[in-house]
Amino acid sequence: MNYLAAFVMAIISYALIDNVVLSRFYGICSFIGVGNKVKSSLCMGAAVAFVIIMAAAICWPLYNFLLVPAGVAFLDTIAAILVIACLVMVVGLVMKKFLPALYQSLGIYLPLITTNCAVLGVVSENIASNLDFGMAMANAVGTSVGFALVIFLYACIRVRLEASSTPKAFKGIPIALVVASLMAMAFMGLQGIGA
Amino acid sequence: MTVLYSVLILAGLGLFFGIALVLFGVLFHVQEDERIKEVEKMLPNYNCGACGYAGCHQMAENLVSGKEPLVSKCKPGKKDKNYDPIIAYLSSHPDPDGTVHVPK
Repeated sequence: MNYLAAFVMAIISYALIDNVVLSRFYGICSFIGVGNKVKSSLCMGAAVAFVIIMAAAICWPLYNFLLVPAGVAFLDTIAAILVIACLVMVVGLVMKKFLPALYQSLGIYLPLITTNCAVLGVVSENIASNLDFGMAMANAVGTSVGFALVIFLYACIRVRLEASSTPKAFKGIPIALVVASLMAMAFMGLQGIGA
Repeated sequence: MTVLYSVLILAGLGLFFGIALVLFGVLFHVQEDERIKEVEKMLPNYNCGACGYAGCHQMAENLVSGKEPLVSKCKPGKKDKNYDPIIAYLSSHPDPDGTVHVPK
């Protein structure tokens, strides 16, 4: 019961309090790049969530049952990148087959999940903080929920921004960056929950 | 020993994921217009993105479908090496229903 409570608390903490984009500043590239259409942002959130959860689930046993016993724990990063790249390729192939329109609208940002630091960040954080498998998965789930939530909210705001009259100098990306910083400040308000 | 294990483990992982990807590639194979491949070969294949598309493949797709009317959007392309062969190829290879999309 205690473990379950800790598990849920960890998910909430990783999703909201230590939000991956707005407090830890991982995965900004796709956040800015895809966060201008609600539908593609939702799909990006789902794709990143799939890659993060699968990568964490594969890399944890890979590290603890293969790399550490063999005495080559220093290979963790390169092994994680192999796993992540493979997963992203699979997501791309599946999406091209079943959701070609979405595949088009995500464009280059889909293969770029490979280099999304949110994914590698979760995997190496799990290794660096010596989390057990349950907590590692809580980290993965919380981080993906946080990423999907934030990119979705951001896309909703940006869609409305496009329809409103912003000063000419702020049109497009500049006002989007201002919005991102305001959102980061709003999420700062959640920091008190943990304490 | 460490070197041997590192090499073995990474090679094993690479092989495993490679085979997995080949299987997925066969399983989720998408039939594409053959002309896209041909046009892509005639583009410079720098994947620089100067045309505004994600890469040469996407540019080729849009040229073949006629959504992109300007082959000169490809900035590193040369007129005699890239533009002219693509225009010649697309004017001699119409869509299955007979429509011809010739870019400029």
